[in-house]
Amino acid sequence: MPTEQSTPEYWVEQYGDFLFSYAIKRLRDENAAEEVVQETFLNGIKYYSQYTGQGTQQAWLTGILKRKIIDFIRKRNKHQHDQSEEHDPSNQLFDQHGNYHKNALSWSSSPDRNLQSSELWAIVRGCLNHLPPSQADVFTLSVMEELNSDQICKELAITPSNYWVRMHRARLGLANCVGRQWNSNEEAATHAE
Amino acid sequence: MLNDKKATELFSRSINGELSESESAQLEDHLSNSEAAKAFAELAKTIDRSIIENSSIDTASCGESGLSQEAKNRMSDSILRAMKKNSNLAATLLDSNDSPADQKFTLQSPQANPPLDSRETSSPYTIVRKLGEGGLGNVWLARDEKLNRNVAIKEMNRHALESPNAWQRFEREAEITGQLEHPNVVSLYQYGTDQKTGEPFYSMRFVGKRTLADAITEYHDRCLAGNCDPLILHRLLTAFLGVCQAIAYAHSRGVIHRDLKPENVGLDNFGQVIVLDWGLAKVVDDSDLSSQLSGDVELSGEALAETLVGEVIGTPLFMSPEQAAGESVSQQADIYGLGAILFAILTGDAPHEPKQSPTSEPLKIKDVLKSIQKNESPRPRDLRSDIPIELEAICMKAMALKKYARHDTASELANDVERWMVNQGQRQSEYETMRMEGRELRTNTQASVRDLETNVRFMANLPPIQELIRSNSAEDTIAWRDRLITIFSGLLRAKSDYRSIVYSRLDGDEFSELVRVERHSTVHSNIRSIPKSRLRAGTCSDFIERVSRNDPDEVYTSLACGALHDAANCENKDVTLFAGVPIFDAQEEDLYGVVIIECDLDHILKQQLNRRFVSTDIIVACDTYQTILHSNGSDGIVEESAGKPLQATRPDLSKAIAHLQEKLEYIDKTNQQVYGARLWLNANPHGIMFLLSHE
Repeated sequence: MPTEQSTPEYWVEQYGDFLFSYAIKRLRDENAAEEVVQETFLNGIKYYSQYTGQGTQQAWLTGILKRKIIDFIRKRNKHQHDQSEEHDPSNQLFDQHGNYHKNALSWSSSPDRNLQSSELWAIVRGCLNHLPPSQADVFTLSVMEELNSDQICKELAITPSNYWVRMHRARLGLANCVGRQWNSNEEAATHAE
Repeated sequence: MLNDKKATELFSRSINGELSESESAQLEDHLSNSEAAKAFAELAKTIDRSIIENSSIDTASCGESGLSQEAKNRMSDSILRAMKKNSNLAATLLDSNDSPADQKFTLQSPQANPPLDSRETSSPYTIVRKLGEGGLGNVWLARDEKLNRNVAIKEMNRHALESPNAWQRFEREAEITGQLEHPNVVSLYQYGTDQKTGEPFYSMRFVGKRTLADAITEYHDRCLAGNCDPLILHRLLTAFLGVCQAIAYAHSRGVIHRDLKPENVGLDNFGQVIVLDWGLAKVVDDSDLSSQLSGDVELSGEALAETLVGEVIGTPLFMSPEQAAGESVSQQADIYGLGAILFAILTGDAPHEPKQSPTSEPLKIKDVLKSIQKNESPRPRDLRSDIPIELEAICMKAMALKKYARHDTASELANDVERWMVNQGQRQSEYETMRMEGRELRTNTQASVRDLETNVRFMANLPPIQELIRSNSAEDTIAWRDRLITIFSGLLRAKSDYRSIVYSRLDGDEFSELVRVERHSTVHSNIRSIPKSRLRAGTCSDFIERVSRNDPDEVYTSLACGALHDAANCENKDVTLFAGVPIFDAQEEDLYGVVIIECDLDHILKQQLNRRFVSTDIIVACDTYQTILHSNGSDGIVEESAGKPLQATRPDLSKAIAHLQEKLEYIDKTNQQVYGARLWLNANPHGIMFLLSHE
């Protein structure tokens, strides 16, 4: 007998927002996130017989979604020009001796102002959006999806050295961007006070 | 000692626990000393923590917007549509009591009423894993339980299932693939529908997951790592010939593939090349083509009638201009596609790979399509300068913007590539001979130059040289002078290339000849001693000045136009080789003069060039790029000293000339057309170049 819990409307209403939120954080693109969520639902329906009932439906669907996100990133990386080479923040941050320029990394955790998690996350997310997709995708798969370097290299068909270059440049780019944003926010807050 | 940059790299790796103990110690040491590196480490950790904390937070708690109502409706509709299309699908969703089991496709005849003959109807496949997915469908590796073999199964994907056109295209793909019987076209085993879902699928030969795209990437990765193996290029080109043959066969059956790209070419472990994915193939609209396509087997009328006029179909990165324009395509579109595959083999990139700078706007597909229609394809050598010119020409012809300028058939294209491959072996052998000839020319000339240097050193050490310095009486001077003239004359007689031998005294910037023995300018056998009254004197030339700076017995060798004291104008003058050595007064140990031998370089070189060469074009040039001699098959040996830079008159040699400014040898690995060798002159930054080529 059909139950309310196994109708399409129920799934979309019940899990749509969660899955979408999960996907957009990793893909940083609304259309892409919507596409993978839709794929997830369709796959969920197709292979519903494989759902054992152990664990929640949301967790089961999230498992499918994770796979879809990786597939999507792989396709995106395959068809996008790798901009990692052009986007090397090292030139902005380091001098010719490989040491930081003066005030290159102007961030310091302010002792009199607590880092608000949501505030920081908003900055981090904005900075992630400004990274070249090839760097942001590798970084996302590593930090959010907790895939190890071998898995990422295999999924994206890239060499380990290319992986490390992308990861490192992503970290530098993020640190550079978050540091600047955080400081400008802090200055604004100081003025407001 | 670490710097901040290296420390940040180590820190990045440390987050993933990839550092060795010594690296960790180095990093810790640096962090304790560099405030900036420490700040980076703290910030990077904070960022990671923030991402991890927020990566799976529920939407409600972080205030993020979820799916729009419109998107939710769209999704619900899409699921419902898919369910309606197949009642089994709906049942699957609604019946949550289904027990999980291995997913199996069970063949069912495409007809509404399955035939009773079980041989046609049942052959279950067990899905092993997904192999890939395309625009139309997904491909799975499956096990044929009856025949105990691996097969590839293609099924339509969710998006395609919603499109009636896609259903027809899928069916047509199976029909076309099934009718093309060629070793380089994937063999189709069975076509049917899944009993459970009602969705169509077909099974075909499993050729492995490796595609030509993988092989191309591997080859170019190796090249980037400095390990470019010509044997792999040869194999890739051999695979390309297989693709051309499959397409030539398909064209002969009236089928146009329309989506040729390296990803659609499978490679099995035994070098077999299989053209895959005929999902976009078009059957040429002709009433007799059903028989063309399959011999005596007819395709369905719908398939034959279906033309995709006005639709943009194919993969933009490899698409022909007419496809990009959405025009009706002919076999020439496939010729372009084959050219695009050849382009990818040669360069590692697709021909229409967008080149974006970080600041540029993201490219839209319509812009890419417009660019494909209007612009000539990039030249392979613009991406990789070491691509053989002839191969580039073949590729550019296949990818010509205008259809009529391309190869007429895929076989013609294959023949061009095959001819190049065959000629490559012969070219290799000819080039080896050319290299041998070039080295021999240099070695022989070098021997003559070394011989000249030995002789001038020997002349400088003759007793009369010092005796002339010390002689106090006119009688002694005449006696020693005569003796020196006799020796100099003997050497000139023995060495037909030598023009003169001179012993000069130096006084500041001035020189005055003491002895000069020279060969008559027209009657070469006539060797004469210049009388005292005709001996020259004057201001030292650059050459004499340079010789005088040397230490005893140190020879300086140089090239010049005309005779020793002539002006620097080279017009209509032979290039002469000079070797000089300074003379020091043995008693006073002061510089006294110089001994110089003047040698006819043209004569030496002509003797060498006057034999049979495989190289049809040989140029000997000095460093100022002035041609000394030019030997070619038709005109023989020509003296050219017009003073024009050789690079201006022979741009084809410019790369070799530039290379030889610093290196002893230039080897044209790519085209094997030019060989260059350089001879350095003693203590002289300039020298002689030998440039050999095929006309």
